[in-house]
Amino acid sequence: MPTVVLLDSSLSMTRPVSVEGSEEFQRKNLAVHGMTMLFEHMATNYRLEFTSLVAFSSLWELLVPFSRDYNTLQVVLVTDGALGIGRGSLRHSLQTVKQRVDDKKFPLPFPFPSKLYVMCIANAEELQATDSMDNLEQLINLNGGEGQIYTMEGPLCLKSVQSMFGKLIDQAYSPFHAVLRCGNLTSDVQVFPRPEPVTIDEEVDPIPKTVQTDLEIVGFIEIGDISSPPVLSRHLVLPIAVSKEGDEIGTGATDDTEEETSTNQMAGKSPNFCVLLHGSLKVEGMVALVQLGPDWFGMLYSQADSKKKSNLMMSLFDPGSEPLPWLGRMSQLGPASDAAENPYGEDDSKSPFPIQPKHKRSYAQNVTVWIKASGLQTDVQKILRNAKKLPEKTQTFYKELNRLRKAALAFGFWELLKSVAELLERECTLLPDSAHPDAAFQLSHAAQQLKLASSGDSKYAAFEQNITPMLTDFSGGGGADRI
Amino acid sequence: MRIFSVSHKTAFVVDHCPYMAESSRQLIECDMLTKSRSQGVIPLAPVSKSLWTCAIECSMEYCRILYDVYPTKKLVNYIVSDSEVHILNSWKQENQNTQELMTALAAVGPPNPRQDPECCSVLHGLVAAVESLCKITEYQHESRTTLMDTADRVANRGRIICLTNAKSDTHVRMLEDCVLETIQEQNKRAAGSDRLMPIQQCELVLVHIYPQGEETLVSDRQKKELSSVLSSEVHSVRAGRYLAGKLNVLVQQHFDLASTTITNIPMKEEQHANTSANYDVELLHHRDAHIEFIKSGDLHMAGSTSRDSGLKETVTLKWCTPRTNSVELHYCTGAYRISPVDVNSRPSSCLTNFLLNGRSVLLEQPRKSGSKVISHMLSSHGGEIFLHVLNSTRSTLEDPPSISEGCGGRVTDYRITDFGEFMRENRLTPFPESMVDAACRTPVERAKFQLERHTRYWPMIISQTTIFNMQAVVPLANLIVKDTLTDEDVLTCQKTVYNLVDMERKSDPLPISTAGSRGKGPKRDEQYRIMWNELETLVKAHVGTSERHQRVLDCISACRSKPPEEEERKKRGRKREDKEDKTEKNGKDTEEKGWTTDSERLKGVMEREKDEQSECEIIKDSPDSPEPLNKKPRLATEEQQPPEKSKGPVSLLTLWTNRITQANSRKHQEFAGRLSSVNSKAELYQHLKEENGCVDLIFLSHCVP
Repeated sequence: MPTVVLLDSSLSMTRPVSVEGSEEFQRKNLAVHGMTMLFEHMATNYRLEFTSLVAFSSLWELLVPFSRDYNTLQVVLVTDGALGIGRGSLRHSLQTVKQRVDDKKFPLPFPFPSKLYVMCIANAEELQATDSMDNLEQLINLNGGEGQIYTMEGPLCLKSVQSMFGKLIDQAYSPFHAVLRCGNLTSDVQVFPRPEPVTIDEEVDPIPKTVQTDLEIVGFIEIGDISSPPVLSRHLVLPIAVSKEGDEIGTGATDDTEEETSTNQMAGKSPNFCVLLHGSLKVEGMVALVQLGPDWFGMLYSQADSKKKSNLMMSLFDPGSEPLPWLGRMSQLGPASDAAENPYGEDDSKSPFPIQPKHKRSYAQNVTVWIKASGLQTDVQKILRNAKKLPEKTQTFYKELNRLRKAALAFGFWELLKSVAELLERECTLLPDSAHPDAAFQLSHAAQQLKLASSGDSKYAAFEQNITPMLTDFSGGGGADRI
Repeated sequence: MRIFSVSHKTAFVVDHCPYMAESSRQLIECDMLTKSRSQGVIPLAPVSKSLWTCAIECSMEYCRILYDVYPTKKLVNYIVSDSEVHILNSWKQENQNTQELMTALAAVGPPNPRQDPECCSVLHGLVAAVESLCKITEYQHESRTTLMDTADRVANRGRIICLTNAKSDTHVRMLEDCVLETIQEQNKRAAGSDRLMPIQQCELVLVHIYPQGEETLVSDRQKKELSSVLSSEVHSVRAGRYLAGKLNVLVQQHFDLASTTITNIPMKEEQHANTSANYDVELLHHRDAHIEFIKSGDLHMAGSTSRDSGLKETVTLKWCTPRTNSVELHYCTGAYRISPVDVNSRPSSCLTNFLLNGRSVLLEQPRKSGSKVISHMLSSHGGEIFLHVLNSTRSTLEDPPSISEGCGGRVTDYRITDFGEFMRENRLTPFPESMVDAACRTPVERAKFQLERHTRYWPMIISQTTIFNMQAVVPLANLIVKDTLTDEDVLTCQKTVYNLVDMERKSDPLPISTAGSRGKGPKRDEQYRIMWNELETLVKAHVGTSERHQRVLDCISACRSKPPEEEERKKRGRKREDKEDKTEKNGKDTEEKGWTTDSERLKGVMEREKDEQSECEIIKDSPDSPEPLNKKPRLATEEQQPPEKSKGPVSLLTLWTNRITQANSRKHQEFAGRLSSVNSKAELYQHLKEENGCVDLIFLSHCVP
């Protein structure tokens, strides 16, 4: 999640902090110290985070603008909690929040998911003495409760500002380290951005699910078979070198400090499973299914940013036993070699995916819908069209006739059966002299059967029953067309 | 989304009393053809549906859409009420499909107008619906069983949709009171039962259907809380298309659906095959497929328009004719099943058939600015069509570092093809639920075990292995990783070993690094020693699997030969190499650019490279895959190397210092420790770590004259 840091640069931030026997600090200095700590942390452990800095007092100035659209954001507000007075102050803005016109809406809640962290260069007692704390809490509430207020504990000094920013770092910027495993092949990795806990159904299971730090590959699937699955989030999987003491020594990016350079050189040259996996996934056009926790899976694949650059990416599926209907239950996926017959075929021409659902959807099974008059008219016309081409079209004639019969019976639309019977009888009388003699027999037979069905007599109106073509002496011609 | 929300259970109660047999008075002309044909024929009278037929077909349409979008977990219990109750299906998932309901409805038939109206009432059905809502569904049961002590988190909510013809507002009130009383009664009963659950929340949706051309006797009423458990709303609707429209709106409200109209779909005309016209098709799906538009607030910008009903909106997305059939992995943030609003219309079925045949279609979001944004994709999987939401906002993962810039990124001889083969062998396939193996492992656990077995010995780079570069070893390598071996398999493995012995006897060359700049590489017998060692390592990793695996190892141990004096040779080789290294290094320029032209330099560079590798215990000596020439200049590990080298212009000071250091370095012999040091720290007793055969290979290669 990109971060915007807002620094309060109003006059009150220059208030001195009394520290016995040392040089005099202003609150501003403490704020800068804390922010430096945050930025240094990001530079070493959270390199890919996008960060922007805005200074504000009664006016604001965008020091570094974002040049892109983002759908999520983290906002870190650094202030001493002195809210100012009069128009434009937070106190006044919050009081008049409901009186604002549409085009001058209060910025909160943001029109995108966000977290608002307020870092107070002040301690809680000081803020509670005035209404500052209440106003800041109101800000968090306006943001839908997303965020947190941090205050300093003890005297205002460098140490306590460090501990406050330390808490923010632990909360929002701790890197996610994990071990990627494929049997005995492993690699230490950083997953970026770090995967956040997920709650699927807060009623049945209110405990958020977290991605475990052991990412275990369970097998492989073709890209065509997994076919653009929906994912919760995407994350880069960056191999990291871990020194003997267990400290991370970087992801091997280029702008390292002098000391790191040589160690990263080594890291670049020792074979890493991530690179092997990435290369093969890319060449083969496959993904690796990876288990993220109990009943939670994701996939690893090669993501090309441009022609030259590509990387190992991990996408998380919805937690649950069956995140993708076309793969079925994840726990039921096993090694293809265990199957009696190779499900991919000896020449790789087949695939066990996608899994077919038990029932076809309405659009795949030629359902009958007569909500609109045109639907009914089309179905009747289809029958009449085929009636004129008897006996050649005997099969389709009865197929369409039975479809209409079934629907009419289910809908309790017996009147329609009578009407269509009459239409067929009339059709019979209108047959030209050149017509095949079988046509007349079939038409009057069909009409009679429809009439019987419309009586509701269970002998003729059974749903599963079909009207079958009449066997006639002439049916030799239409014999091949018989149902 | 909560699984046990009100929409988990829907009880349909359809009035089957004699008055429902009344005509809707909506006339449908079905004698169309005659008009154009014979003038003399008197057209047949139009038909009209009964109130019952209207109610049934609209409720079936409701269910059709519901089952298309939610094939599971959203359940319908269909109840028909006259003098008695006909319950047409159960909450069971297997009963949830329209075919089964249609069959049951056909058995019920239309209402009998001659039945005594006094004994008939929709009340029977409403009571049955409440009773049914108390019955536990298989999902509720499963969830309660899994949650154990927190089983009370499983809620019991439901909705009753009652399609009837009411007499008056008072009559409606009476129906509501009846439902409320029944809930109270049934909840008491349910409290003491395992298979029943008290109803926590119930929505009653009363739809009063009256014939066209008549005044309604019942007034519409918005949703109202009748008690903490029951809310009720009344819709008074004319039969026919008004009723259909109403139920279409209701199914969207009840199941959080939204509408998308695919526009500009080119279709060939039946009559004129050369021309094509553009059609629109409206689809329903979960409204989260529009979440990006809702979030960004430009639902209206996205081309949404109000439709006839005035109640619903549809988002218009433009068809983009697919150009290729290539398989691509799109970044997709959601996939939602669809249901066409007008399932039987020609444009709808053309679109759905196109998709069911396996083609995918990208959809473009029309924008005022004229910029083209692909926001969705239609695609079918296993006969189901999904609307995929593609990510169209820019991502925080733009411009990430390439994998070649990270750990292991500069190694160039990974066994990419072999690992590809490994992945194919470890592809997954679905197994039926019942299939559990002897050890009670699920298929996915078996998959993990297989990966474990197959990776017990799996060198990642070509230069780390000999046996996996040899065609002759393939039969054994493929078999040894198996869980069980047959006697025949063991025989095949033994044949492989004999074959290798034969090769050794004939002194066939092995695919071990042939000498590039470094002479001819290890001697033949040395090559075989390395190969046998590696083969033993592979088989030893599997020896515990079974007695037959052990037999393969026994065979190798018996057949291979071990020269006795190899340890001694190894040591000698090591010393000599160190010497060579120093002389090379000291006289060498750090500039690497022109190295391909100078064979002496080339040799030096390769020596140094190797030196670096041994520092980090990596051996990379395959001449088949040298470092690509177009790489960025490499940062050397030597102390005197300026760290700024990679960062643009070099300062004058650095240039000067480098020159002095270089000049000085020629005047004395550098300490071996300093030469191989990292950050001026040299590791002592490195040889202790270099006991494996691969390291031996390097040093020995220099013993060869």
